[in-house]
Amino acid sequence: MSSPVLDLPRAADPAGNPASYPAVDPDEYIAALMRWHFTASTGSPFWLRRARSLEFDPIADVRTFADLRLFPNVVDEFRDVPVEDLIPRGLTGEDRVIAGVYESGGTTGSPKRFVMFDRWMEFALGWDEFHYAALGPANVLAVAPSGPHMFGAFAARRARRHDGVRFTVDLDPRWIKRLIERDGPGAADLYAEHIIDQAAHILTTQAVGILITTPPLLERMARRDDLVALIRKNVRFICWSGAHMDADSREIFQTEVFPGIPLKGLYGSTTILGMSRERPGEGLDGLALFDSPSPYIAFRVVDPATGDDVNLGERGQVVMNHLTKYALIPNNLERDHALAVEPPPGWLGCSVADVGPVATFDDHAVIEGVY
Amino acid sequence: MAEFLHIDALGPTGPYRSRNRRPLTSLAGTPIGEISQVPSLYVRRTIAAMRAAPVLAGAQRLDALDAAAELFATAPLGGLGPDEYVRLVSTASGVPRAVVRQSVDWIVDVLRSQRTTVELAMPRGAVGDWRDERTRAGSAVWARRGEVFAVHAAGNTPAVHGLWPEALALGYKVVVRPSTREPYTALRLVEALRQAGFPPATLTLLPTDHDVADVIIAEADYAIVYGGQDVVDKYSAIPTVLTQGPGRSKILVTADVDWREKIDIIADSVSHLGGTACTCASAVLVEGDPEPLARALAERLGRIPSLPADHPDATLTVAPTASVVEVDQYLHKVAGDARPLLGGDTIVDELPSGGAVLRPAVHLVDSSGAAQLGVELPFPCVWVGPWQSADGIAPLRDSLVLTAMTTRAELIDALLDEPSIINLYLGDNPTTWLRPGIPHDGYLGEVLMRTKGMIRTAVGPAAA
Repeated sequence: MSSPVLDLPRAADPAGNPASYPAVDPDEYIAALMRWHFTASTGSPFWLRRARSLEFDPIADVRTFADLRLFPNVVDEFRDVPVEDLIPRGLTGEDRVIAGVYESGGTTGSPKRFVMFDRWMEFALGWDEFHYAALGPANVLAVAPSGPHMFGAFAARRARRHDGVRFTVDLDPRWIKRLIERDGPGAADLYAEHIIDQAAHILTTQAVGILITTPPLLERMARRDDLVALIRKNVRFICWSGAHMDADSREIFQTEVFPGIPLKGLYGSTTILGMSRERPGEGLDGLALFDSPSPYIAFRVVDPATGDDVNLGERGQVVMNHLTKYALIPNNLERDHALAVEPPPGWLGCSVADVGPVATFDDHAVIEGVY
Repeated sequence: MAEFLHIDALGPTGPYRSRNRRPLTSLAGTPIGEISQVPSLYVRRTIAAMRAAPVLAGAQRLDALDAAAELFATAPLGGLGPDEYVRLVSTASGVPRAVVRQSVDWIVDVLRSQRTTVELAMPRGAVGDWRDERTRAGSAVWARRGEVFAVHAAGNTPAVHGLWPEALALGYKVVVRPSTREPYTALRLVEALRQAGFPPATLTLLPTDHDVADVIIAEADYAIVYGGQDVVDKYSAIPTVLTQGPGRSKILVTADVDWREKIDIIADSVSHLGGTACTCASAVLVEGDPEPLARALAERLGRIPSLPADHPDATLTVAPTASVVEVDQYLHKVAGDARPLLGGDTIVDELPSGGAVLRPAVHLVDSSGAAQLGVELPFPCVWVGPWQSADGIAPLRDSLVLTAMTTRAELIDALLDEPSIINLYLGDNPTTWLRPGIPHDGYLGEVLMRTKGMIRTAVGPAAA
């Protein structure tokens, strides 16, 4: 039996006001979520089976957001589990409509698979709707991974919301990884330029209002004067995701390369079946701040050595939680590092900024030679 | 140095200060300023703008190089007069003041000599300008293979900036990525060249971290990269990257020569520029017993005083104590069974003014095949070993400079034929001898230029 607290808000404010979602009591939400996923009539075969080898009773012992730390990180098990086992039995009707199966990773080891439900996907897509509120009809060009990746599917739905079509090019990150392993970074260059050439053809011949891509590809577009001119002329919104954008690059994009075109980031992952949105306003020292759709997705930032939360304003490793009746993916330590940022009031976990790979500094190993 | 220093990028449209900056510190660890670390987006846009910029005409380039020599030597640049600049490099990066001055003189000489250097490097069958009369009858024209040349500089001695001006003379646009440890010389030289007439879009300064430095190298047509063996290994397979790594320069003294007369030249070869140049000798091979030579060398090098880098008589490099200790530990590790005659206890000599001097080290090895003979470290560190003619030239391979103190013409022929010996000096010449116009690692023109055949009749400008 589903508790109403687990139901997604029905009518998001069409104007996309970011504060329009109803506040829920966090402890009540977590308790209802545990009952849903660990009751035989509503939980998924995966979690009902997995519960037997947990060293705690999720329903009795997990009562707060902090208690989610009891869970082991199970995402590695998503590499092998049949996707049917991930479907909560309690989902029915509209809730049970599957949008697709998406994969994360696959560049190292075999991919992990996640089931995306239509109802959830529409909600997740609407999470940063307010950024697009004034755009009106527009076609979308997604220069981003498609195939089994969530990124491309979201772009298609974005186009539909703007009564437009989605143009896309094939981009296979797993093949790029193989190429780099075999032939070095030059091979990736060649591939990236091949992608940009295809994007250029679409930008030249079609009316593209929304450009969705990754920072490295946007950077490659930025060095072609003809593409910059086309984007400035036609594109009314640029959405980036899938990689780090430092404050300096963001400023150069905003002030020099694409002045006047909104440039908004999404930080997400297939392992949370969604993303966090860029907070409107100035950001932090030029960096985009990302707010997750709490309580459905919530971040923590932890000290990699201890697993404890870092203080706000400090860097650490990102822990992601997907907490809906559609899926439970708790306590997943991601590779990314980020700055922990004060979340909006009442939010679970924290917001993040400056997401990127682990910062490395020059080591002091002595290397022979005079330079 | 009361003022807080800002080393910013000098881009095609002006200076650029990034939010991402790294601290610049004195040898004692005191913060003295910050250096911008530009993102790859800035690099790509800069190099695209450089490609779009016109090339300065040949005569103007050479005039500008002459003028830059004057400015570099005497003018206040980037807010620093020439003496202030020398003091800053010595106090901030530990390069002895005298070494900075020698390096400045060297760079000035290089800038002034580009007219002749370019002439010397050009094949005799070629003309430098297609308008030359010789193309009417048919001749080669010397032409650029690319347009953008990147420099990934090092901070051990300002003299590293003596190579790349040749690329400007040849008409390349140059992007310099300065050393984070010593960015001051790169900044001063770029400022001088710009004031002398090189437009900003033909010469830029882009301080970056190591990852973005790779983007500079990838975006440029050709690059010169200074670094250790790791850097050489990383780039050696890329034909458009010239690596300046360990020089492993050596001296050979055969039995027909009395080394006692040469000991000053040998000691100079080891300690010149504080032992920080890739031309400094790191191995000496002696036909006969090497020990007396090694002892005499240890005695000479042992006399060099430990002084703060900004002392007028200082010749030894100063570095943060922790890093000198690391070098010392590494030396002990690689020395293994070699017999220390100097510096075997420690090379670390801490200074009250901050940092530590890297004292010279002399070790004796027992065979010409000893692995230590190939170890080059960034201070006067020399390995002395025996050699006999039966050993052949194998122990002398892989040398940027080999000074052969010998009268045996057949040996000299064999050394000249050995491809891994880059420069061969004979007799009373230290390995550190350099003159503008004499190649250091070939002429840059050998890599950056090619000949193109041309024959012409009366087409083109009527005046030509």
